[in-house]
Order: sequence, then structure tokens, then C-alpha cells
Amino acid sequence: MAESPDAAIRRLASQAPLPQGGQGLVLSPEAVAEIAAGTGLPGCGIEARALELDILPTRYLRNMHGITPGDQIRLLRGSVAQVGLGGLGGTLFEQLLRLGVGTLRVADGDSFEASNLNRQALCDMTTLGQSKAESAQRTAARVNPSATVDARHEFLTRDTLPGFLAGCDLAIDALGGLTHRLILQQCAAEAGIPLVTGALAGWTGYVGVVMPGQPGPAQFMGQDNGAEEALGCPAPSVNMVATLMAAEAVRILRGEPSPLAGGMILIDLKQLTFETVRL
Amino acid sequence: MGIEIKCFATLAPSLPDNAADYPAEPGETVRSLIAKLGIPEDDIALIFINSARAYLDSEIKDGDRIGLFPPVGGG
Repeated sequence: MAESPDAAIRRLASQAPLPQGGQGLVLSPEAVAEIAAGTGLPGCGIEARALELDILPTRYLRNMHGITPGDQIRLLRGSVAQVGLGGLGGTLFEQLLRLGVGTLRVADGDSFEASNLNRQALCDMTTLGQSKAESAQRTAARVNPSATVDARHEFLTRDTLPGFLAGCDLAIDALGGLTHRLILQQCAAEAGIPLVTGALAGWTGYVGVVMPGQPGPAQFMGQDNGAEEALGCPAPSVNMVATLMAAEAVRILRGEPSPLAGGMILIDLKQLTFETVRL
Repeated sequence: MGIEIKCFATLAPSLPDNAADYPAEPGETVRSLIAKLGIPEDDIALIFINSARAYLDSEIKDGDRIGLFPPVGGG
């Protein structure tokens, strides 16, 4: 009889010093990969089960206890649908992988070009010309093969967005430009899931959380492209906005209300001000 | 006491030198204020007064903090 996943987890767990002191049982990334290969189960499911058995996946030891074991299980069993794999999307994707969000459905119809090199985390000299979706799939295999990643090389539309969002816990708007953001906000509301959105121009940016039925930035930002055409998108602004979006994604996946629900935080890195406004 | 004005992104060049203590006339609205600042109405996507969303016809009172935000969509 084949070994059960629980038996395999217990057999491959080992004692190790824990960051907060003392010793505990941990499960290495190699052990997770071995059990995944042997059972055909996704690594994220094995890691969630290990946490339920009080065995900490080594990969997430340094998430603890900013993210508690219970929260980590929620992230591992959580699913995110992210539209866009450019500046915001690349940084977000890497953070979601490292955080241990179990299921990531991502889409972008673009391929990397030289003008993406200033900010897009998945863009480097080796990925120029490559589709952003393919690059995301490869990055996931390198950074966290436990994640179940479905990366689609396509631009989503009013017709295809509902299927893309279906079954996910959370939608993320990592689009570039304003043209498609309102459609995404409407589709997320129709799917009944929260939307984390963000954008920037120069040293200014914002992050908002839109619960179904609530107002969101896309309703008044218009659909012509904005100030980013004149001011560009420097990496610190991109990463700041992506980081705040990732933090709100974690908060929502762990089941907490977001302080940004029905509002947005406006970030100005030139004057170094942060202000939360109600919509 | 005047009002405090903050202009974001492409609107920053329209910020007056006395933006931290700008004189507001009696009956001042956002519409009359941005006309004085020379900002076209269409250039503004989001207005807020004291951290709450406001509109072109919203009245401005002494001590208010006014924020003007253009369309921003970069990623």
C-alpha cells in the first residue's frame, strides 16, 4: 500500500532550531517536493497539512509569526486571480509566491520589451521577448514550486474575465493603464469577491480595496491613460504600491477586514506623505 | 487661518507657493479654487477635503485640507 501523505510528512520531518527559540519539527522544501512527486498532490496542500500536524514548512519559518501558522494555512489554501504581470504584477506575483499563497491564476497578453527593464521584476536580459505569462510560470518553478500556478498569455476581456475570476477568493488589479480597470472592478463585484487595486505615476500612487458593491478608484479615474504617460513609473513607486497591495491581499485572505475597504491610500514619495481617504 | 492644498502627480506644478496657508474667500468651492489655481476641471479625477471624497461644488472652509488628484493608472 502506498504511503499516506501524513505518514510521508511525519517520516521526512526533522527537528530544527526555530527562529523564535527552542526546537520544533520542520519540513524542508526538498521533502515537500518529494511528497508532492510521490502523491501527485500540490506542494501547497502538503505544506498546509504539515502545519495542521504542527510541522512547520522550512520555507515559511520566517513568515512566522507575522503570519501565524493558522494564517499560513489560509494562505496556502487560498486562491488569487491577478490580472497583469508587468510592474505591479511582477512584484506582486513574486511576493505572493514567497508568502505561500497556494493557488495563483495570472494573465497578461504582453511580452517583455526593453522599456520594462526599469521596473518589472520578471523582466531581465534573459526574458526580453518572452511572454510575461511564460516568465511567470518559470519564476514560480524557481521560487516556489509548491504554488499551483495557472499563467495565461492573454488579454482578458468582458467576456473572459468572469471565467478567469470564478472560484478565486480574491481579485488583484495589476493592470497598466486605465482602459480595462473598470471592467475588472465590475467583474470582481459580479463574482462577489474583493478586489485589491493600485496604480502610480511618477512618485505618486494609490492602493484601494473594493468590496463587492462598493465604489472604487476605477469609477472616477476615467479610461484614458493617465499621468503615468508624462511621469513614468520608477521602480520605488511600483514596488511600494505592489507591497501595499500584497499586504492587503494577505489581510483579506486571512479573513480580516481591510482598512482600505471603501477607500484608498494616496502615496506621495516625493513629499513622503501617506493619506487614507474615504470614497 | 487659510486652507492647505495638496496637488498630486501632474497637478503638482499648479501648487501655489502659499499652499500650506492659502486664503479662502467666503463661499469658496473647489470649482472656484481650481479656477484660481488655473487647473482645468477635466484634469482632476479625485478631490478630497479632510480625507473624505469631495466634489467640484463642495464648499471649502477655513482650516480645510484640500487634495487634488489627476487620473493615474500606471503599473
